[in-house]
Amino acid sequence: MDATVLLQQVVNGLSIGLVYALMAIGFTLIFGVLNVVNFAHGEVYTLGAFVGLIVITALKPPLWLVLVLVLASGALAGIVLERLAFRPFRRFRDEAALKSKAMREATLLSSLAVSIIVREALELKFSGEMQTIAQAYLLQRPIQLGPVTITDGNLIIFALSVAMLAALQFVLYRTRIGLAIRAVSNNVLGAQFVGIDTTRAIVATFVVGSMLGAVAGIMVGLYQGAIFPNMGFEPGVKAFVAMVMGGLSSIPGAVVCALILGVAESVATQFFSDGWKALVSYGFLLATLWFFPAGLFGFKREKM
Amino acid sequence: MSARLNLVLVLALGALLAGLVALGSSYFHQIAITTMIFVILSASLNLITGSAGLLSLGHAAFFGVGAYAAALLSTRLGWPFWLTLPAAGAAAAAVGALVAVPTMRLTSIYFAVATLGIGEMIYVTMLNWVGFTRGPMGIRSIPGLELWGFKGIAFALVVTAGVMLAVLWLVHRLVHSYYGNAMRALREDDACADAMGIDVGRLKLQAFSVACALAGVAGALFAHTTGYISPESFKFGESILVLSMIVVGGLGSVYGSVIGAVILSVLPELLRELGSWRMIAVGAVLFLSILFLPRGLVGEVSAIELIRRQLRRRDRGDGGARRVAW
Repeated sequence: MDATVLLQQVVNGLSIGLVYALMAIGFTLIFGVLNVVNFAHGEVYTLGAFVGLIVITALKPPLWLVLVLVLASGALAGIVLERLAFRPFRRFRDEAALKSKAMREATLLSSLAVSIIVREALELKFSGEMQTIAQAYLLQRPIQLGPVTITDGNLIIFALSVAMLAALQFVLYRTRIGLAIRAVSNNVLGAQFVGIDTTRAIVATFVVGSMLGAVAGIMVGLYQGAIFPNMGFEPGVKAFVAMVMGGLSSIPGAVVCALILGVAESVATQFFSDGWKALVSYGFLLATLWFFPAGLFGFKREKM
Repeated sequence: MSARLNLVLVLALGALLAGLVALGSSYFHQIAITTMIFVILSASLNLITGSAGLLSLGHAAFFGVGAYAAALLSTRLGWPFWLTLPAAGAAAAAVGALVAVPTMRLTSIYFAVATLGIGEMIYVTMLNWVGFTRGPMGIRSIPGLELWGFKGIAFALVVTAGVMLAVLWLVHRLVHSYYGNAMRALREDDACADAMGIDVGRLKLQAFSVACALAGVAGALFAHTTGYISPESFKFGESILVLSMIVVGGLGSVYGSVIGAVILSVLPELLRELGSWRMIAVGAVLFLSILFLPRGLVGEVSAIELIRRQLRRRDRGDGGARRVAW
């Protein structure tokens, strides 16, 4: 195996891994706060890509404006999603009800139902095929960097993901709402006792997570030149795997595992045909569940 | 439900079948067969997800294992359907048991994630192992159901109905027994069930294997009645469809899984006029039923409810003097 080819695959893997990381953070934040899995997260990613596509075809604005609009749409999607699929099931306010199995399964299924509706509505509107994207916006311009060829998409994904991660750290650790989110995810009842508006913190969590997901969607759409209604499923599952590998509620763990997944997948394409690539992440998932039931970075595993 | 009601239901089903065989066009026959296959699938999923409380997100994959086993055995080796049906069940149960062993320590969301992963692994294998499964091209011209000169779609309808009744009877017997009580104990609190002397791991393994075997039988029926299978029919979306059926019908209730399967497989046919709106309708039905009917249309009668009913009956004999405040 040629070392340059390997290096090339590692670079590609890192940029796709960062996208998985953005998705996985959304999952992890929501799991941390509500202890539920948000199955509609993949659809937020798809929505982000489609909003970007619509904005690009209608207005032809500069890229930064597209990103701002996608961020706004992600925030909106988060609010609506929380209102539709999660709040109706949070009728009781005590911690036992908030963390109960029945509530978890109800919201799991309701978010699944919302995701089916969103995906099918998109398919109805845009048909299931790949959408055409204006050539000028595709992030596929090659840049030679020593022996490795990268595209400007790699660079933009890299820079934007790092910026988003930094912004997330800022929000979580330097603002009052971030403090509220961390308090709620630590102990809902305790947060209520000290006067934190838990509903607001939960909505904020959905907003932050969905913004990250929507940006991931438009970046991948422009980088791979592929925007279609079903695009959210695969990254959604990968991000889910990364979250489980990272220990379910550890954000750094999820990021590291997402990078591992991205690199492993893209290196694996050197050895296997493209179709078998998906087995890599599921193999990682099962190995993690079997050997590290608490996740690679989880410290304690709460009994589910 | 009482035995008399069961008899009425079976007779009604028989009359419906006879009517279909006598009058129906082959379009209705096909819908009836598909519906009954989904009834088998949802009853089997209800056994693990409803009664034993193990949320499985990969049930369609085991359906697919059964379908491929039956298709390959009948096209390559020329086995008749009365051999491929049990063989498909056995193959799906074997694969199910094989993947169940490492995942049985997992609970709730971890188990759901693991089944999702396994389901996708099986799907990817079907899609890419072209030498064995013919990959995305699928398997064509699978022989139909044929026995003693009987064949054709009306015969397929009768056979499918027979298999469905047998499966429903089996699931009903399993759920309404001490074994079923053990499964429900597992669902409510696995640590407590363990402490009460139930071998939790073995119980999970058995329930999962039985459910997979039934899904495999459904897969064999699917392969023989449609004559063509491809990996597309066994994707994640199909698992979700079956899950929606038991949620709409009622988790843990055999009647509920039948009703849910009938509603969610007949509804898209009725909405065929609406074209692509029908999957949206399925999603909306799922969402509304979780919101307004969290127990499903025919919810499981909980054990405590049964005890309460018995006490009430006894109390009525006493003139209502000793009310028990449950």
